Amino acid sequence: MIHNKDMIPEQPAPKGTIGPIGWLRGNLFNGPINSLFTLLGLYVLYLLLVPTIQWAFINADWIGDSREDCSRVGACWVFVNARFSQFIYGLYPSEEYWRANIVFAMFAGIIAWMVIPRLPFKRWMTVFALLGFPVAAYVLLHGGYFDLPRVPTHRWGGLMLTLLLASVGMIGALPIGIVLALGRRSNMPIVRTFCVIFIEFWRGVPLITILFMASVMLPLFLPSEINIDRLIRALIGLTLFQSAYMAEVIRGGLQAIPKGQDEAAAALGMTYWKRMGLIIMPQALKMMIPGIVNTFISLFKDTTLVMIIGLFDLLGIVQAALSDSRWLGFSIEGYVFAAFVFWIFCFSMSRYSQYLERKLNTGHKQ
Amino acid sequence: MTQAATNASDLMVEMHNVNKWFGDFHVLRDIYLEVKRGERIVVCGPSGSGKSTLIRCINHLEEHQKGDIVVGGVPLTQDVKRIEQIRRSVGMVFQHFNLFPHLSVLENCCIAPMWVQKKPRKEAEELAMQYLERVRIAEQATKYPGQLSGGQQQRVAIARSLCMHPDVMLFDEPTSALDPEMIKEVLDVMVELAEEGMTMICVTHEMGFAKTVADRVIFMDQGQIIEENAPEPFFNNPQSERTQLFLSQILGH
Repeated sequence: MIHNKDMIPEQPAPKGTIGPIGWLRGNLFNGPINSLFTLLGLYVLYLLLVPTIQWAFINADWIGDSREDCSRVGACWVFVNARFSQFIYGLYPSEEYWRANIVFAMFAGIIAWMVIPRLPFKRWMTVFALLGFPVAAYVLLHGGYFDLPRVPTHRWGGLMLTLLLASVGMIGALPIGIVLALGRRSNMPIVRTFCVIFIEFWRGVPLITILFMASVMLPLFLPSEINIDRLIRALIGLTLFQSAYMAEVIRGGLQAIPKGQDEAAAALGMTYWKRMGLIIMPQALKMMIPGIVNTFISLFKDTTLVMIIGLFDLLGIVQAALSDSRWLGFSIEGYVFAAFVFWIFCFSMSRYSQYLERKLNTGHKQ
Repeated sequence: MTQAATNASDLMVEMHNVNKWFGDFHVLRDIYLEVKRGERIVVCGPSGSGKSTLIRCINHLEEHQKGDIVVGGVPLTQDVKRIEQIRRSVGMVFQHFNLFPHLSVLENCCIAPMWVQKKPRKEAEELAMQYLERVRIAEQATKYPGQLSGGQQQRVAIARSLCMHPDVMLFDEPTSALDPEMIKEVLDVMVELAEEGMTMICVTHEMGFAKTVADRVIFMDQGQIIEENAPEPFFNNPQSERTQLFLSQILGH
């Protein structure tokens, strides 16, 4: 029995199911409860947005150089303006700002180069970013070479210090985390035990405690002629702390790879490191992008804790500026500014990770 | 003397009194098996009889605790270098294919020749294409495993193993995870491989395959080799009761 002898011609979709009106109807007003929530949501948004915009933009004061220039009706961005260079460079001497600017420009250039897919020589850029750039940045920022005056690390601060702590932390935590994760899954009991103890120690102690110990207690135990820079100590503490978290994230990814993958690679005669480097890690890291970026974001925000040991990162320097008697009472503006800068960086990381996930996934979706 | 020497070099796989335990569980008991170069062996038996474990011991995916295994004249020891040497000469095809999902079909086939045998990329790719053509899947070379059917994936897995020019191929239930209509395309490739003289040890329930290509059929139960014979007498005149029962169960319907 034949049902349809001729092909049924294609017909347009019913009116009101496609296009913007269709979308609205299907998603925001597809029933009394959903419609109610839509209207309620719009109302709450209105209640929140209108005063915020009025405070931050419409009634705000932007130009001036003292508190008298602020009407106090809206936000007083004059404060942020006046302190801006401090927020960026900390107590870095202003005649040497150009050195920090070069480092900022290089940093931005590297990021842009890595993020824009069309640009070539990614591998060489990575090598430069990992080997050349840190040396160049150190020489420029710290000085003492090529007639550059020395700027001791306790004068570094602001956004510059935040970015420094965050990038060193990220670049250090990922490889250490990978090694720890592999070690924790190792067949060798000594290696495994060492990694478990290491991870559990650093995960079990609050970061504040680690920073505090690094800055106050470590010098007590070390012989007095050994004097490690406070910034270096903070960096080591931060990196090791985050690498323990990273290790657990990566271990989760490793566990999600079926055992057959390792067996197939082993059956082809690959050594352990080739199996890990060519087969297991690429799959695990891809799967772990959300977790890794999550750790990066929390690391980025955790850098604010270095305040406790007297390093002035972005938040620290904002807070220091708030206690300036000439600018008392502008804490909201200060904190909003700091929050905004942190948000920009964290949100960019989050967006980039989503882009990476999409890009890397296309290959083997069914 | 001469006779013994030729015999020794002719033996591809030797397992002498191999015993293995999973914890307390005795999975392999006094396994004695010798496979000559070019011989095709089919291993069958009920599930849990240790047949997969047996062939996984040959390339040390499982470790045996007692007895000797010699592959291509090289005794299998704990030494990692020795194990890797043996694995390079032993190909393995798994029940669930185990292709690398992050690599294309071509890269799956090239990765071991390039990184284990240090072949240049171009040579490895030519070799891979040659074997992909042999398993009739060359046109899919740029796709990823996730885009292929089960039968296609298993043929790629066979090609991937062949790219290493193995002396012996181990098949661990290569058709058990396949939809019925795909079993034939994989078996056809395996039959061709057998006709070209590849040494093969296959764990399979495909009795038709066993009848056409096997030189010997081995029946295992509870970790032991119960019966071993050429296919014709094995199927027509099984000696042990357990073999008879097993054959009646899988051929009876």
